[in-house]
Amino acid sequence: MKILIEPSTKNNLYQDITTGIILSLDKYAVQSNVYFSLEEIKKIRKDNPNLEIFININKNLLNDDIDPISEILKELDKLNLQGIFFYDLAIPKLKKELNLQTDLVWNQTHMVNNYKTCNYYHSKGVKYALLGKEITLEEILEINKLSTITSMVEVVGLPSVAFSKRKLITNFFKDLNKPSKEKLTVTEKVSNAEYELQEDMNGTSFFLKELVNGTSIIKELFDNNIEYIVLRKYGIENIFEELLQDTKEYIEGSCQNNDYVEKYKSLGDNTNFFFKKTIYMVKKNG
Amino acid sequence: MDRIELLSPAGDLERLKVTLTYGADAVYIGGQKYSLRANATNFSIEEIKEGCDFAHKLNKKVYLTLNIVFHNEDMDGVEEYIKEVVDAGIDAFIVSDPFIISHIKTNYPGVEVHLSTQNSTSNYKSVEYFKDEGIDRVVLARELSKNEIKEIIDKTGVDIEVFIHGAMCTCFSGRCALSNYVTNRDANRGGCAQVCRFAFEADEEKKFTMATKDINMARHIGEMIDIGITSLKVEGRMRSLYYLATVIGTYREIIDSYYDNTLTEEKLELLEYRLSRVANREVSTHYFNKEADETDQYYTGRQEISNQDYLGLITGYDHENKSIILVERNYFKPTDEIEIFTPSMEVYEYTVDEIFDEDMNKLEVARHPEQILKLKFDKELPAYSMLRLKKKGE
Repeated sequence: MKILIEPSTKNNLYQDITTGIILSLDKYAVQSNVYFSLEEIKKIRKDNPNLEIFININKNLLNDDIDPISEILKELDKLNLQGIFFYDLAIPKLKKELNLQTDLVWNQTHMVNNYKTCNYYHSKGVKYALLGKEITLEEILEINKLSTITSMVEVVGLPSVAFSKRKLITNFFKDLNKPSKEKLTVTEKVSNAEYELQEDMNGTSFFLKELVNGTSIIKELFDNNIEYIVLRKYGIENIFEELLQDTKEYIEGSCQNNDYVEKYKSLGDNTNFFFKKTIYMVKKNG
Repeated sequence: MDRIELLSPAGDLERLKVTLTYGADAVYIGGQKYSLRANATNFSIEEIKEGCDFAHKLNKKVYLTLNIVFHNEDMDGVEEYIKEVVDAGIDAFIVSDPFIISHIKTNYPGVEVHLSTQNSTSNYKSVEYFKDEGIDRVVLARELSKNEIKEIIDKTGVDIEVFIHGAMCTCFSGRCALSNYVTNRDANRGGCAQVCRFAFEADEEKKFTMATKDINMARHIGEMIDIGITSLKVEGRMRSLYYLATVIGTYREIIDSYYDNTLTEEKLELLEYRLSRVANREVSTHYFNKEADETDQYYTGRQEISNQDYLGLITGYDHENKSIILVERNYFKPTDEIEIFTPSMEVYEYTVDEIFDEDMNKLEVARHPEQILKLKFDKELPAYSMLRLKKKGE
């Protein structure tokens, strides 16, 4: 099992510890905390020839994005990258049209939820799928068992929960007649859960401001041959390097060291939807 | 050139019949499985068949939403369900999952597949992807401008459907799991709790809200026709009969008047007023002519207002007493000025004089919703005609 990380700054990519890294492309990625230009990506590739580098292009693209993103994709294709995370179906269409060789990662955030659709994408030449965060561990393992696609599972990080094209923070502060901010923390009073909103040129991203701690399921993912796990740094900067190093050693030891699981109980007991099914029928038809 | 399609929601069989009678060219409905309004009444297979039969006799169409984001367990039985719905006579499926699109196009090539707005398709290249997959129509993301829509139509030639009236999501459709996290209700499987209409605590003098105003494109229908849109969609499978009759009837009149060159400013203002009488939120055109901004949202929590204009549904005619028979919906009394409107949008001005119960006993006022009432009227009116309040009397 390999580890992919998403950094939250540009100054430490942990290239000596991690197998791979996810770099969000400036202007064409959303719901990230740090974005990289094409030139920065080229330099990282050059400096780290053995690192698995994935590029995140997960914006809902607009017509005006198509020409520039086509040029960027052609440039990226020269870099021997491991893959491109996509949300918009324009990306696989462009890969086909431009005859690009870089593999793709199906990354439609809340939609990567079943094995048949994973198989559909695999049949279209998509190599990987970052599975949805709102499905159970049982569903994850079933997808991995029944699908031909290579599964990736996000196990630690602040989950992104929504994205709007609207400038929601700007609009809120305009109503208050006050200067806007790039970030805003709000609290849902019934659940008492905090959400962090981040706004940029593409819109507003929502993150649950409570760390998802999936360290306790890594062994099960390992035992069931999940190929990649994803650790996101944002929100746990202080302990991230230690967590990454420990996770690497835990996996290298075939996830037999229970001390790892005990140690990282300190990250909290939010296991997100790994053991909790969502509901959708609140009354019966009839 | 074909005229643009007016597409209405229908939460049940009666709404389907009413909305087609009031001028919709097609309706979209939810089955009892796989639809994004899991808590609407929704249609059984028998009701889908009856609805299709009713529509087809009018040379109109019925589309079924099959647009949840599927989990593994949802895939069990879906292929059999699709076959049952095809056999019931459905004209098109509205789908977001590409595996389902592929399955339908492979197995039922005569049945149309429309890409749901749940996919938030927002550019021509993405439309081309689905064109390659055999999609017949794309319901675009609600975040696009007129120019962007036109460019997509011009570059792809794919039939395009857009929303023209009703509630808006704050986030991109399909790209919001707020409901999952806040309430554990799965937004993308029909359980959306509309968390974007909640008020959140913030360290500011007001609570943080992000609720959007509704969309109302009445004033831009001509532009939408001119740029080549195929279908105009009204939101609201859980809306009332009265709401649907008014909204669909009004847009029918706008569309027909535009084609007939009879849509004057005076007429448009009257029709906009009619829409405003069934609105329960303020309205906006959101992204059509500008980037959505602070004027398209609310900042004071929930803003819905209750509307009691709808007085009754006409169900028959008492020839002996020359009276219309109606089911009461809201309070009214003698001296109230009302309008009686029909599916063909004839409007009769009427001042309430005497109100009778079904046995012709005179009542002082109508105060019991669902009660059968009679009003003197010398003309029999078509089924699904309705009464609305124009002005309260003394």
